[in-house]
Amino acid sequence: MLAPALVLLGIFVLWPLVYAWYVSFFNWSFYTESTFVGLRNFRLVLADPVFWASIGRGLRFSVIVVPGIMILAFAFANLVKTMGSRMATWLKVSIYIPTVISGVIASIVFVLIYEYRQGLLNWLISLVGFENQPWLGSASTALLALTAPAIWLGLGLASLIMLAGLLDIPESYFESAELDGAKWWQRTVFITIPLMRNIGLYLLVTSFVATIQQYELPLIMTQGGPTQSTLLPNLHIFLRFTNDVTVGYSIAAALLLFVVLGGLSAVIFRVINSEKAVDG
Amino acid sequence: MAANAPIVLTDGTRELTSPTPAAAHRRRRSARATGPGGTVLRYVFSALIFLAALFPLAWMAISGFKARNEVVSSPFQFFPDVWQPQNYVEIASDPQFLRAVGVSFGGALLFAALSLTVNSMAAYAFARLEFAFKRTIWVAVLMTMFIPGMAILLTSYIVVTRMGMLNTLAVLVVPGAAAAVHIFFIRQFYLGIPTSIEEAALIDGADRWRIFTAIFLPMSKPVFVVVGITSFLAFWNAYVWPIMTITEPDSALTQIQQYLATFRSERRIEYGLLLAGSTLAATPVIVLFLIFQRYIISGIRISGIK
Repeated sequence: MLAPALVLLGIFVLWPLVYAWYVSFFNWSFYTESTFVGLRNFRLVLADPVFWASIGRGLRFSVIVVPGIMILAFAFANLVKTMGSRMATWLKVSIYIPTVISGVIASIVFVLIYEYRQGLLNWLISLVGFENQPWLGSASTALLALTAPAIWLGLGLASLIMLAGLLDIPESYFESAELDGAKWWQRTVFITIPLMRNIGLYLLVTSFVATIQQYELPLIMTQGGPTQSTLLPNLHIFLRFTNDVTVGYSIAAALLLFVVLGGLSAVIFRVINSEKAVDG
Repeated sequence: MAANAPIVLTDGTRELTSPTPAAAHRRRRSARATGPGGTVLRYVFSALIFLAALFPLAWMAISGFKARNEVVSSPFQFFPDVWQPQNYVEIASDPQFLRAVGVSFGGALLFAALSLTVNSMAAYAFARLEFAFKRTIWVAVLMTMFIPGMAILLTSYIVVTRMGMLNTLAVLVVPGAAAAVHIFFIRQFYLGIPTSIEEAALIDGADRWRIFTAIFLPMSKPVFVVVGITSFLAFWNAYVWPIMTITEPDSALTQIQQYLATFRSERRIEYGLLLAGSTLAATPVIVLFLIFQRYIISGIRISGIK
């Protein structure tokens, strides 16, 4: 009964991973004999300013998207908790709907929202007297513009997880604090936030790992431009792979990210969840 | 890996869940104002949430009703001057659009069915059977959840190319079917089923396969809904893996996201048609989610993370 799943995971997950490590030491391409090049691919990646610039960009992108998601999800959870059950259901359903929308459709919609002459955003800022901005056409705003669809797509799941965590805190803690005269912000700082530390940590890491790997939005919306200002790490790797004859560079770069990100999430998952996950 | 690799890693790893009756119970708990600000403020914030979440989609759907040159008319206008269904009619009678919807729909059903079959069998094995190296294999399966998509996307492409799978239905459906998150999620559910139920059957001489099909499968509806819909969505929304593996131009396997992306880059200015098509492409998944939202929302609980 285990066989089908293990065979599929073996062929399409483990084998590609092993194979990636193998290929990363070769000057491999679809068309020629490959030759062993040792660590050259990794050296090429680590010496490439474009790679490091994309990492920096990914970090800047994440520094906006991840706290944005965390703060909004926390606010959402606290709001829903105070609402009646019918209203709470409506709110939960609404905030989750963007999660089921594809990156392609989100991109189509947001590109039109950012449109220079007739877009919604420029219309809104013109109401308060600002000049039209080429949001996706300018290297200084394009990355910022991509954060909105990223948050829009990612907020729903984080919010519902945050809400589940908030509702797990026994109501009696809040009641006794309230009886002792604790204000809302005191209850939040001294009860809610400490007790939700694990959920927060979990969301922080999973959102970060997902966000820094984002490449579908810039692939469709900007192709990494203008002047590479939205060339996030995985987009750089993906475009290199599709444009290069030799694949060693891309695979070595992907593996470097894998070591860092996979390690990070495995460690955090272990810290929070270790024995329970393994032993059920 | 594959069709849903990025999705497994984003939605998937955060969806380690086990549905509990407690969640449903909690929902019924009466509302109590514990936040700052009054009722008015809370409703203002709620309205903002509705607006932020749904406005882009509403605008997309409404703009589909605009005349050809009206979507990009300056200045910006939310509602059309005249509501006209032309765009919807035209895109819905484009044979390539219909074919793409058909491929996405059929493929997503197939993918969900395969995913449920493969992952539930593995979940049952991990929950109930004893075999050599069980713990080692389980840890190895769990570890695959932490592999970022890009680390295996490129070599998966090489692997399926070598296997001659490019431009086949199999390349879209098979590679992503087995997923550790789904095995984990279904296993959690199966662990919660008391062993006493199957012990009677075992004594009566039923074998493990029979217990799985006759006892476990009928009880699996709540987890199957969540896993099935997650898989369906992953297939329906997939973009990168399909553009890598379905390489023939105007292939009969072109799916809806590919169709929309190509439409957008080739027929840039026909915004009305594009938005009408996008609306039609988003509708099935929204409807599916609305029908099963109860299961999905209560499915989003992270077991063990306390």
